[in-house]
Amino acid sequence: MTDQACRECHRIIEGQVCPICGGASLSKDWGGYVVIIDPKESIIAQKLGIKLPGKYALKVR
Amino acid sequence: MSETSIFVVKTTANQERSVANMIAQIARKDKYDIRALLVPDVLKGYVLVEAPAPEIVDQAIQGIPHARSVIKGASNINEVEHFLTPKPAVIGINEGAVVELISGPFKGEKARVKRVDVAKEEITVELFEAMVPIPITVRGDHVRVLSKEES
Repeated sequence: MTDQACRECHRIIEGQVCPICGGASLSKDWGGYVVIIDPKESIIAQKLGIKLPGKYALKVR
Repeated sequence: MSETSIFVVKTTANQERSVANMIAQIARKDKYDIRALLVPDVLKGYVLVEAPAPEIVDQAIQGIPHARSVIKGASNINEVEHFLTPKPAVIGINEGAVVELISGPFKGEKARVKRVDVAKEEITVELFEAMVPIPITVRGDHVRVLSKEES
């Protein structure tokens, strides 16, 4: 099964509800991929406004 | 925040995401100071790695299938910032432009753009070959622009 991205927080998740923001608006149509390992030290995480480690999509349709 | 640079890892085409996942897994397991990995859709065959030094990235990719090498030199965030905000797929497509559909049931057909919806990233086209003009709405990334100017 293709992974789904949360339309709210752009996090790539398994399951039907986003465990982070609680949103159920998910999409299989997403593009760009970011893995944040250390959000405190990462400048990419800072630019994207990401505060939690994990996998994210850059664009969610 | 300590000093950090962006390093570029060359990978096999279409294996960028799996390489990024593997690097992330190894970085967590072996405590390498890798902070983030970026895989933009427009950059085929490369993964961008945020780390303080190239040696860390070089060590982390050892033994990872499909990860080939670290490209010499480092980039700063300003040089890769444009990858973080992908452009809408309909940018560069104007009303009146001639496009070719590149996927779907009308693949290979030529058409003229009638309407562009930037928010939905969709365009409405009319096929040249059709007997009667029927508007068809397709995704912006499912067409190739043949001529931009209105004629």
